[in-house]
Amino acid sequence: MKKITWLLLVLLALALVAAQCGGPAATEAPAQATEAPAQPQEAPTEAAPAPAPAEESGPFRVAIVMPSPTTDMAWGESIYDSLLRLQEETGGEANFEIAYSEGMFNVTDAAAAIRDYADSGYDLVIAHGTQYGTSLFEIAPDYPDTSFAWGTATDTGADQGLNNVFAYEARAEQGGFVNGVLAAHLTQSGVLGVVGPVEAGDAKLYIDGFVAGAKYANADITVNVSYTGSFGDTALAAEAANTHIQAGADILTGSAQQVVGAIGVAKEKGVLWMGTQADQSPLAPDIVAATQFYDWVPALRDMMEKHQSGTMGGVVYSLTLDNGGLQMLYSDNLDQNAVAAAKDTEAAIAAGSIDPFTAEAGAGAAMADEAAATLNYDFDPVRVAIIMPSSITDMAWSQSLYDSLKQIQDVVGADKLEIAYSEGMFNVTDAAAAIRDYAENGYNLVIAHGAQYGTSLFEIAPDYPDTSFAWGTTTDTGAEQGVTNVFAYEPRAEQGGYVSGVLAANLTKSGIIGVVGPVNAGDAKLHIDGFLAGVKAANPEAQVNVSFTGSFGDTALAAEAANTHIQAGADVLTGSAQQVVGAIGVAKDKGIPWMGIQSDQSPLAPDIVVATVLYDWRATLINMIKMNQSGEKGGKVLQLTLANGGQTMIYADSLPAEAVAAAKAAEAGIISGDIMVEIQ
Amino acid sequence: MNEGLSVLAIIVGIAHSGIRLATPYLYAAIGETFSQRSGVLNLGVEGIMLMGAYSGFFVVFKTGNLFLGVLAAALTGILMGLAMAFISVTLQAEQGISGIGLFMFGLGASSLLFKTTLGTVEGVKGFPELHLCLPSGYCLSDFPVLGEIFLGHSLMVYGAFALVPVSWWILNKTTWGLKIRAVGQNPQAADTLGVSVAAVRYITISIGGMLAGIAGASLSISLLNIFQENMTNGQGFIAVALVYFGSWTPFGVLAGAMLFSLINALQLWVQVLGLNIPSDVAVMLPYLLTIIVLAFPFRRALQPAALTKPFERGEN
Amino acid sequence: MQNPWLKRLQAGRIIDTLLPLVAVAGALIVGAVILFLLDKNPVEAYKAMFTGAFANKNGLADTLVKATPLLLVGLGIAIAFRGGVINIGAEGQLVVGALMTTFIGLSLGEKLPGWLVIIIALAGGALMGGIWGGIPGYLKARLNVNEILSTVMMNQIAVQVGFYLLRGPMIDPAEVAAGTNIPHSARLPKSVDLPRFVDIARALGFTERAKDLGLTGFNAELYGLFAEPTRLHTGLLIAIVMAVLVYILLWRTTIGYRIRAVGISPAASRYAGINVQRYMVLSMGLSGAFAGLAGAVEILGLHHRMFEPLSVSAGYGFSGIVAALFGKLHPLGVIPSSILFGGLLVGGDKMQRAVQIPQVLVTAVLGLVVLFVVGSEIWSRRRANRRVSTGPDELSGAAGEASS
Repeated sequence: MKKITWLLLVLLALALVAAQCGGPAATEAPAQATEAPAQPQEAPTEAAPAPAPAEESGPFRVAIVMPSPTTDMAWGESIYDSLLRLQEETGGEANFEIAYSEGMFNVTDAAAAIRDYADSGYDLVIAHGTQYGTSLFEIAPDYPDTSFAWGTATDTGADQGLNNVFAYEARAEQGGFVNGVLAAHLTQSGVLGVVGPVEAGDAKLYIDGFVAGAKYANADITVNVSYTGSFGDTALAAEAANTHIQAGADILTGSAQQVVGAIGVAKEKGVLWMGTQADQSPLAPDIVAATQFYDWVPALRDMMEKHQSGTMGGVVYSLTLDNGGLQMLYSDNLDQNAVAAAKDTEAAIAAGSIDPFTAEAGAGAAMADEAAATLNYDFDPVRVAIIMPSSITDMAWSQSLYDSLKQIQDVVGADKLEIAYSEGMFNVTDAAAAIRDYAENGYNLVIAHGAQYGTSLFEIAPDYPDTSFAWGTTTDTGAEQGVTNVFAYEPRAEQGGYVSGVLAANLTKSGIIGVVGPVNAGDAKLHIDGFLAGVKAANPEAQVNVSFTGSFGDTALAAEAANTHIQAGADVLTGSAQQVVGAIGVAKDKGIPWMGIQSDQSPLAPDIVVATVLYDWRATLINMIKMNQSGEKGGKVLQLTLANGGQTMIYADSLPAEAVAAAKAAEAGIISGDIMVEIQ
Repeated sequence: MNEGLSVLAIIVGIAHSGIRLATPYLYAAIGETFSQRSGVLNLGVEGIMLMGAYSGFFVVFKTGNLFLGVLAAALTGILMGLAMAFISVTLQAEQGISGIGLFMFGLGASSLLFKTTLGTVEGVKGFPELHLCLPSGYCLSDFPVLGEIFLGHSLMVYGAFALVPVSWWILNKTTWGLKIRAVGQNPQAADTLGVSVAAVRYITISIGGMLAGIAGASLSISLLNIFQENMTNGQGFIAVALVYFGSWTPFGVLAGAMLFSLINALQLWVQVLGLNIPSDVAVMLPYLLTIIVLAFPFRRALQPAALTKPFERGEN
Repeated sequence: MQNPWLKRLQAGRIIDTLLPLVAVAGALIVGAVILFLLDKNPVEAYKAMFTGAFANKNGLADTLVKATPLLLVGLGIAIAFRGGVINIGAEGQLVVGALMTTFIGLSLGEKLPGWLVIIIALAGGALMGGIWGGIPGYLKARLNVNEILSTVMMNQIAVQVGFYLLRGPMIDPAEVAAGTNIPHSARLPKSVDLPRFVDIARALGFTERAKDLGLTGFNAELYGLFAEPTRLHTGLLIAIVMAVLVYILLWRTTIGYRIRAVGISPAASRYAGINVQRYMVLSMGLSGAFAGLAGAVEILGLHHRMFEPLSVSAGYGFSGIVAALFGKLHPLGVIPSSILFGGLLVGGDKMQRAVQIPQVLVTAVLGLVVLFVVGSEIWSRRRANRRVSTGPDELSGAAGEASS
C-alpha cells in the first residue's frame, strides 16, 4: 500500500515539476497542442473530396448547448425558437439539422458537450452561456473546420489566435429602456417593480436599461428592483412580484426563466407585465403589455452563410433595435400615446440619439409627451389670452385649458409665452369687451373658451386680421361669413364619455348609474351621449339616470342631484361642468365611485374618483400658435380625441382589472376606428 | 424611497407574504415530520414535490377541477412515498442515498412529463384567494391589520396551517401517534409489543409523500398557477432542514417555516424599499438569520433514535 | 491488520461486483422502455452512453475529469459520515474553496514560482472549504445546531457570496473595461495551471500521436488519453493520492480511529475520554476541506478562472454523496465509484446528444440507477451477514476496532 502511495506522490511531484520547469515549456506545450491537430485534421479533408461540396450536399448542422431548458420562456427558448425558424426558412431538417443540450448549468458537462458536437462534425456549435467561454476557447483550436459561437460575449478569442469563434450579445438595455419609457407612461401609481435573477449579465443589462428608461421618461418615478439570487426560483420570484404590488407597483418586469412565477402573480392581480427575451404573452395575453423579443435568426443566418463561405468566426454580433435583432412587441390594448412614446424612443435608440446608459433622468419627460401628441415647442414668442365663463380652478372646463397653457409655459418660459386670462365671464357682453381688448393690445391668439361667445367673436375678428381667434366648443370657423382668422376647436367628448360609460357599466353592481349634467348642450351633451352609448354597449341592462341641473355653477343643486341618484340606487356617478364638485362631495361621503371629465378631479376625493377623461389642450394650443406664426390665422377646426392625445384616460389603482381592461379595450377600439360612438 | 408606505403597511405586507411563502414548506415539512418520527429520513421530498406540482397542475389544466388536482397530487405523492418505503423499509437501503435517487427521478420525470404533455409553460386558474366579502361589498380581508394579514389567502394556505394542530394531535394524542413515535425511537421494542414496524413506516412515508405532493400542488395550482421545470428550486431540501429546526414537532416546524418565510419576505421588502444593501446580501439574509437564530441555546433536540437506521427483525 | 471490509470484498467479490451492475441494467431497462415510448432507439442510445463515457480518449478524459471533483467531495462526505455528521454542504464548501483558490492564484500568480502558488492555492482552497464546513461543525458541537439544516443554509450563503464577489471585487478588470461586465474573474496566470496529462507526456518525451505510432482501436484511444491533448489534468492524481491519504488517516492513525469512534457512538467515545465535540468539528472541517480542495482543483486544473456558480441543488454536492455511498464510504471504494458515477453522468449526456432526448430523461434514468443500486444492496448485505458475523453494516467493522 505504501509503495503505491509513494509512487503516486512521485507522480504528483513530477507533475508539479513539469508545470514549473515549464515557464517556457508549459507555454510551448499548449502551443503545440493547438497547432498539432491542425495538420492531421487538414490532411484528411484534403485527401477526401474538397470541403465545399460536402457542405453543399449535406445539411447545415447546428448544435447548441445552453444552461436552461428550451422551454424556459426566456434566454434558452429565445435562441432555440430562432433556430427552429431558421430551420423552417432553409427548408426543414433535410437542409438544417439542430441538436441541443439543455440544462447544462454544469460547465464541465457543457464543455464535454461542446467538444463532442464539434467532434461529431457539426458545422456550428453554439455555447449559449457566458460561463462557457473559457472552455470554448480551449476546445475551438482543436476543430478549425467547425465554427463556434459564444454568447453573451463580445470576445471572439482573436487575441488568443482563434479565428473560428463568433461572439454574440443582446443589447438588452435597449429594449429595457423602451419598456421603461412605456411603463413610465402607463403607470398610474408611479411605482414600477422589477424581479431580477442575479445582478449580472443579460439580466442586469436589461434591468439597468429599464430603470434608466423609466427615469428618463419621468424623473420622479419609483422603480423598485429586487433580485431573487437565482435563475430558477419561481416561487420566490412570484413572492417578489407580490411584494412589489404591495409596495404600490402597477407595472412589473423581470428577466430569466423564473419570471413565469412573477407573470402568474401579475396575471392574477391584473398588473401589467413587460417581458424580455422570449415572447411571454402566451402565458398571460391580457397583461403582457410589451416584450423585448430576441430575434437571433439574422445573426444565426449570417453565421451559417459565413461558415459556408469559409469564414469560420471572428465576427461579433449584437442584437440591437437598429438591426432588428431586438424587436418590441406591443399588446393591442395599450394606451396609444404611451405606445407612441415608446416607439419614438425605439427610433431614437436605433438612430443613436439616445444612449440608454447616459440618458439623463427626466430628459424624456418633455420629449415623451411631445411624442404623445407630436408636441414641438419650437415657436417664436407669443402672447395668448383666454376668456372663459368659469374660473381657472373650476376643476372642469376652464381649468383644463388653463392648465394646459400653463404647462406649455413651464416648458418654454414666460418670456416666450405670455398668458392673460379673464375668468368668470358668464356675461357675454363683458366677454366680448375682453376679447376686443386683448386683440387691441396685440395678443397673437385670443381664445373665446365658451360656445356662447360665438356671435360676438365673429363681429370682432374681422377688425383684427393679424390676430388669431379661437372658439370652442364648435366646428364653425365663420368661414361662411367670410371670417378667416378664427380657429374652431372641439373636444370629441363622446369618446371619453363612451370609455367612462364602459367602465361604469363594468363597475356597477346595482345596475344603476347616475349622471349629473349642467345643460343638455355642447361639451356636456357630447360627453353624456357618449357615456350612454358606452354603458349600453357594455351592459344593455344597466340603467342610466341623467339629471341636468340647468346651470353650470349650481354646486348645491348638483350635490342634491347626486344624493337623489344614490337614493335611486345608483352606485356609480359621473357628471360634467364646474358644479360637479358638489356632486363629488356627496359621492365621497357615500363612498360612491365617481368618473370625472375635463380636468383631473381626483385631488378632491382621491378615493372615489376612479377614472377621469383628462382634456389635454397642449397640442391644440401649440398647433394654433404655430399656424398663427406661419401666417395661417384661422379657418381650421381642431379636435381633441383619444387618438391624438387630446383626451387621456386616467384610471385609479383601486379599479378591478377586468373593468379597466374593458375600458382600455374601448379606448383602443375608438382609436382604431372600430368603435364609432353614436351621438343623438 | 416609498415614503408613502407606512411601517404598518410594510409589516402587514411582510406578514401576508410570509404566510404564503410558508405554505409549501409547511406541507412538505410536516409530511417529513411523520416520516422522520417513524425513523425514516426521506431526502426525496424535492422530487415528490415536483411530481405533485406537475400532476396537480396537469389535472387542473385538463379538467379545471381544483380538487381533482389536489387529489392527483396527493396520489402521486403517495405512489412516490410507497416507492421510497419499498426501497428504504423493505429493501433496507441507505435512506439518504435513496432519497437523492428519488429526488433525481422526480426532477427528471416531472420535467419529462411536462415536455411531452405540455411542452410550454401554461397557466391555469388555481385556488382563488378568499376575501370573505359581506353583501355590502366590504371585504373582511380589508379589515385593518388582522384581516389584511390573515385573510385573502387561498384554501391551500389555510389547509397548510390547519395541518399543524391536526398532525400534533395525531402524533401526540392518538394511539397511532404513539406507535409512530415508538417505531422511530425503539423499533425493536415496538416490534416486541406487536407493532409492525414496516407497516407503520410504510404509512408514515406515504403520508409524507402525500403531503409533499400537495406541497408541490400548493405551488402549481394555488400560489403560482403555472408549472415550470424544477419549479421547487430546492424548497424540498429546505423543508427537510426545517424538520430538524422544528425538533420533529409540528409546531416547531411551523415556527421554523414562518421564521424562514418571514425573513424571506423581509428581504424582498428590503430590496423594494431601496435600502442600500447589495441584493446578494439581502438574498442570503433568510439563510444567515436562520442559522443565527438556531445558534441561540435551545433545549436539546429529541432526534428519533432510530432515524436513518433500517430495521430488520431479529437484529441485535 | 485485518480489515473486514477488505476481507468481505475478497470473499464475495464477484457477486458483489455483479449485483450493482445487474441493478444498473435493471434501471436502464426501465429507461429503455421510456426511450421506446419517446420513439427513440434504446440500443443506439445506450451504445452512445457507453462509448461516450469509456470508449474513446475524450470520453474517458471527460469521465475522469468529472470523477475528480466527485472523488474529492466523496472523500469529504465519507469522513463526515464516518465521524457521525452529515454534510449536505459540499456544494457551498466547493464554491468558497474555488473562490479562495482564484483569489490566491490571481494575487500571487505573478509574484511567486508557479509550483509554489499551486500549493498555496490548493491549501488555501482546502482551508477555506474547511472553515466553511467547520462552522456547521462548531455550531453542532457547541450549540447543538443540526448540521443538515446549517449546511443547506450555508450552501445558499456561499453561492450568494460568490455572486457578490464576482460582480464586484473579483470581476475581471477586462470585463469592466470592455463594458461587458461578464461576472467572472480574470484568467489565472498560465503558470498556475495544473499540468494536463498531455503536458507531462510531452515533458517526458512522448510527443508522437497515436497514429504516428501505428496504434489503432482502444489502444490508440488509451494512448491518446495520456499523450494527446485532452482535458485530463493532474487533479485526478491529486484526488487519488488524497483517497489513499484519507484511507491512511481513517484506518492507520489515532485521529482517524477517534473520528470513527465518535461516529459510531458519541457516548461511548466520551467515556473513553475522547473530546467528542472537537472531533465533530474536525470531521466537518476535514469534510469541508476536501470539498474546498475539489473546488481548488476544478479552478486550477480545468476552468482557470472563477465564474458564476449557477446551481446548488444538483451539482457536485449531491453527486459526491452518491459517489461516496456507492463506494461504501470507504476512501478507496470511492475511487472506482466516482469514476463509474462520473462515467454515468458523462455517458448520459452523450446519450442525450446522440439521440436528442430531453436532458431530463437522463436525470430521471440516473435517479432510477441510484434507486436500483441502493435497493439491491440488501442482497449483498444479507450475504455479508451470513459470511461475517460482525454485523450488517461496514460501520460495525469500525465498531469492532473502536471497542477493541
